[in-house]
Amino acid sequence: MRREIALSGWILLLALGCAYPDRIVVGSKNFTESDLLGEIVAQQIERRAALPVERRFHLGGTFVCHHAITAGQIDLYVEYTGTAYTAVLKFPPALDPDSVYRAVAAEYARRFSLSWGKPLGFDNTFAILVRRADAERYGLKRISDLAPVVPRWHAGFGYEFLERADGFAGLARIYGLRFAAPPTAMDLGLTYRALGQRKVDVIAGNSTDGQIAALDLVALQDDRHYFPPYQAAVVSRAPMLSRYPTVAKALVELEGKMPDAEMRRLNALADVEHRDIAIIARDWLRANVP
Amino acid sequence: MQGIYGGGMSLLAFFARNSRELLGLVGQHVYLVAISTGAAIAIGVPLGILLTRRPAWRGPVLGLANVFQTVPSLALFGFLIPLPFIGGIGARTAIVALVLYALLPIVRNTYEGIAGVDPAVREAGRGMGMTDGQLLRLVELPLGLGVMLAGVRVATVVSVGTATIAAAIGAGGLGVYIFRGVATVDDTLILAGALPAALMALAADALLGLAERKLAWRSP
Repeated sequence: MRREIALSGWILLLALGCAYPDRIVVGSKNFTESDLLGEIVAQQIERRAALPVERRFHLGGTFVCHHAITAGQIDLYVEYTGTAYTAVLKFPPALDPDSVYRAVAAEYARRFSLSWGKPLGFDNTFAILVRRADAERYGLKRISDLAPVVPRWHAGFGYEFLERADGFAGLARIYGLRFAAPPTAMDLGLTYRALGQRKVDVIAGNSTDGQIAALDLVALQDDRHYFPPYQAAVVSRAPMLSRYPTVAKALVELEGKMPDAEMRRLNALADVEHRDIAIIARDWLRANVP
Repeated sequence: MQGIYGGGMSLLAFFARNSRELLGLVGQHVYLVAISTGAAIAIGVPLGILLTRRPAWRGPVLGLANVFQTVPSLALFGFLIPLPFIGGIGARTAIVALVLYALLPIVRNTYEGIAGVDPAVREAGRGMGMTDGQLLRLVELPLGLGVMLAGVRVATVVSVGTATIAAAIGAGGLGVYIFRGVATVDDTLILAGALPAALMALAADALLGLAERKLAWRSP
């Protein structure tokens, strides 16, 4: 009997140990930029707060990350204001970056006890992409230049772009794009490959993707300002931040440090030159957050 | 946000509202599974029989079928896109991938079914003066049918699940709901794709199980 009591005591201790471990779990979504930012955040916490960090990277998109952080499985990850605003909170798309950020931060705090850091600096919006040869042949610079050519073109889009309130339907309406056939719905990563292989003629990627330069693609300018802002920022569990003030301080140091061009450069290092993400993150932190 | 737990009613409401689209996707799904499993049988059964006649090929062929199983579907699609005839985007590419995934259980069970026939029975056939073709048709295939059908059954059930990834290459099917749901953080949509797929897999399993019992040789 006494042995059983001792055993249950140990089990209880073990359970408590699992519930309140002294380590920070950093998540990321399943694309390079998110992994890179997750690694930067993880290394920043390691070197400033001296806490062990567990990396849970490449989780299956916004859906998985959001469920993971609200369930306490991860402590923080980098999210985009526009994504949180339309995909998670289901608000209709809005254009002003500041009001989107304020609404997202307030709603996340109220509904999920999640805290938004200030934006990291860059804006990763949807980018309408075509092959450079086509851009030069048809003189395409802006999305509105597409209208006359797309009746003969085939589009391939990711599910996120097809489904979202700030995605394809609105784009086609605002820019008057009438494709010959409905766009092919496919995996986002495969759309790049399909475009490169001339299986489709226009896709919607992310404006900071390293593949844009690597595949010699052209991002058309959003001249009618259709796409809402997608500022990246760290989303953290509020209880974790108040428990570890050093982590909160470490994260503040990253705010505003990552402009668009810098993010594009880091993505290209990872995607095109296949550098190790951990080394890219370490070098960037040394140079920019000394 | 709607959780899975409050989603029961909203899932039914979703099906009621989108019944036409749902039926279309179910139809595409059945088409993908039927064509790919049919092709896998047409390739896999003769291949399995061939292996019983050329035992030296068994290792390399089953090894190759094994390798196909381990290639992640998105990577396989990536490799297939640039290929002529079997590649590109759409149903054809998805079917090629599904065939490659379905080959292993069919080839292996065809081989095992025939190889597992009691050598004494085979000898008796030979003793009666049967040619190799007669031996195959009259003795080995009927006796091995149960094991072969079990392979087809596994391949079909697995294909129903695997066919959801066809949606990643523009081939439609129930995966469309799953991909949409994942992209828009919507549990109801994910269930709208996953639940019918699961029911379809169960139905295929039951149906083929019935065929297995009806057709397979019962040893006394």
